[in-house]
Amino acid sequence: MPDYGQIPVGSGTLDARLILGLAAVLFILGAVGVLVRRNPLVILVCIELMLNAANLTLITFAAQLHNLEGQLFALMTMTVAAAEAVVGLAILVDIFRVRDVDDVDQLSDLKG
Amino acid sequence: MALQATALVLLVLPLAGAFALAVLALRVPRWAVWAIGPGVVWAAFVCTLILLADSFLQDRAHDFTYWTWIQSGTFDLPANLLVDRLSIFMCLVITGVGGLIITYAVGYMEHETDPSYARFFCYMDLFVFSMLLLVLAGNFVFLIMGWALVGLSSYLLIGFYYWRYSAVVAARKAFVMNVIGDIGMILAAFAIFVNYHSLTFSGVFAALPRADATWVEIIGFLLLVGAVAKSAQLPLHTWLPDAMEGPTPVSALIHAATMVTAGVYLIGRMHPIYDVAVWAQGTAALIGAVTALMAASIAVVQTDIKRVLAYSTMSQIGYMFLAVGVGAYAAGFFHLLGHAFFKALLFLAAGNVIHALNGEQDMRRYGGLWRQMRWTSVCFLIGSLSLTGIFPLVGFWSKEVVLGDVFSKPGTTYFPQALWAIGFATAILTGFYTGRMWWMSFAGRPSADRPVEHPHEASRVMLVPVAVLTVLTAVGGFIQINAGFHPGYKLVEDFLAPTLGHLPWHARDLEYIPTAATLLLGGVAFLAAYRFYVSFVWRPWSGAVPRLQRLLEHKYYFDEAYDQMFVRPMDAIASGADRTMEEPVLEGAPAGVAVATQAGAGALSLTQTGYFRTYILVFLAGVVVAAVVLLLVRAF
Repeated sequence: MPDYGQIPVGSGTLDARLILGLAAVLFILGAVGVLVRRNPLVILVCIELMLNAANLTLITFAAQLHNLEGQLFALMTMTVAAAEAVVGLAILVDIFRVRDVDDVDQLSDLKG
Repeated sequence: MALQATALVLLVLPLAGAFALAVLALRVPRWAVWAIGPGVVWAAFVCTLILLADSFLQDRAHDFTYWTWIQSGTFDLPANLLVDRLSIFMCLVITGVGGLIITYAVGYMEHETDPSYARFFCYMDLFVFSMLLLVLAGNFVFLIMGWALVGLSSYLLIGFYYWRYSAVVAARKAFVMNVIGDIGMILAAFAIFVNYHSLTFSGVFAALPRADATWVEIIGFLLLVGAVAKSAQLPLHTWLPDAMEGPTPVSALIHAATMVTAGVYLIGRMHPIYDVAVWAQGTAALIGAVTALMAASIAVVQTDIKRVLAYSTMSQIGYMFLAVGVGAYAAGFFHLLGHAFFKALLFLAAGNVIHALNGEQDMRRYGGLWRQMRWTSVCFLIGSLSLTGIFPLVGFWSKEVVLGDVFSKPGTTYFPQALWAIGFATAILTGFYTGRMWWMSFAGRPSADRPVEHPHEASRVMLVPVAVLTVLTAVGGFIQINAGFHPGYKLVEDFLAPTLGHLPWHARDLEYIPTAATLLLGGVAFLAAYRFYVSFVWRPWSGAVPRLQRLLEHKYYFDEAYDQMFVRPMDAIASGADRTMEEPVLEGAPAGVAVATQAGAGALSLTQTGYFRTYILVFLAGVVVAAVVLLLVRAF
């Protein structure tokens, strides 16, 4: 019965809980950042942070379960994150062209 | 094979004519409309003559199957036409008399605008097609299609002057009444299908010998509903007088010569059913006799010449129902033929008068037309005498055969003889109202308020068909002269015998006595009308019985009763439904949905703050909730 709590890292092993905890912390940092920061660029960065936290959990579980699908999916997430960054930045650049925005709350034109 | 094609061409030609007129009407000159409108009917007449010649030479019925129309499991419906003696006989009447009438219409409708003119002939050709489909049908589906299509063309032609309110109302009334009959026909077809699993005539008649008698009676009565509605018999007769709103050629063709006799044709065609369904057949005879008497009595007080003729048509069709109702099929069809001749003649001659007097139809405003419209007067007189049943015109022979056969029918009860008595009384009344119509219109002095002082005789295109019909009326009766004589000869009965069989009983020796009495009293009544309405030697009979006059003038209050019984309650239900259902529910529901959607959208749009963080917060909160729920589900 292999010990799923320990995952091999280099020549030794590491407790999976540490890595998952790190991922959780990163994710919360990102989420809170999205919620509280106003600068649109920082918000994009925070979204990247959350995505990477998710990636970290994916590869951790992949290592734990000896299943390559998690790693593959992390690659997939990176692709999506890249695309998302491109689209998000493009939108921002476009917005900056017409007006100078330093607070996302200024972009509330769709208020019902 | 050639014959099979002939039958199809006969049927399709008038339809092609109607279609061509509908498409080309406004692009072709009038002479093209003349060529197409009556032309296709005459071409169909030639096709009928070919079939007739074959029928004489070969003496066998054809059941032409063109293709399989419906195939479903074990059920098979062929598209077939039945060409036997009976359908050829009817086709002769439809295309022959129809051709004459449509030719007449070329002159009668000359004052119409070009679009109306073409529309008229388009409808007429459509009617001829529908009627041919009705009589050539070899299965109940085609029969019902033809049945409904003649109703449609009748509706279109009654409402021909659609800018006249009364015409539109009359057309609607005729249509509704006819649809009642159509429903009877369709129910009959259902009953037939359920019982015999076939809808072709041959299949149904083959299944009849082992059929359940109750069902045969039910089918007989259902078919009778259709026949009664189409032939304007009691109690579905009220549409026919109103149908006179249509142009006069329409009244002559549809509401006298052909369509209204479809009920007689139906009973004749279905005679294997009616030979078994004695109650249904007896009812047909009773309805016929009562309608004959009632319609004749109403005709006595009508003042509109076309309405007199309409009631007279109802009355004469009553005779035909009486004949086929007692089983004297050939007599019924002989009277159908004779009636087609003399009633078409009367209508067309009346049309000449109406045409000459700028559309005036009130006989009280005629008078003295004998001197000014000699040809029309002579023709009308011959038609009138034929209607009265004067020797040797066709009306004499055909009517006396009907009455004689009914009189002679043997049996344990005196039911046929009682019906004969009604028919006898009707014949006397017929003489009286016909005389009244003739004397009032053509004899005496011109009425003071006649719209045209010096009316002109009709044009040749109108006189020739009238003259042809006059000749047919005068000598047409000699094809069957067994009324009162015994044995005489009887070409109509012999011709139809392969389909309808011979009369199963012989004339009584005494039959010449009622025949002579009918002839004599009818003639006397015709002459007596002169003393009432022209010389005024006798005071008006209505003075003695004002109540009877009022009853007759209100047509036995049928219209009023139907108004009270059906129209008013339906109106009340409809307006009640309008108030309680239509407005609050049917109209309210869509409006309510719209209002609710708008209000809901307004309320929901409050959640659209436009702030990015709000959306993210809701999103994350949703993720958290979902995660908590998943964990809880996992835990328990």
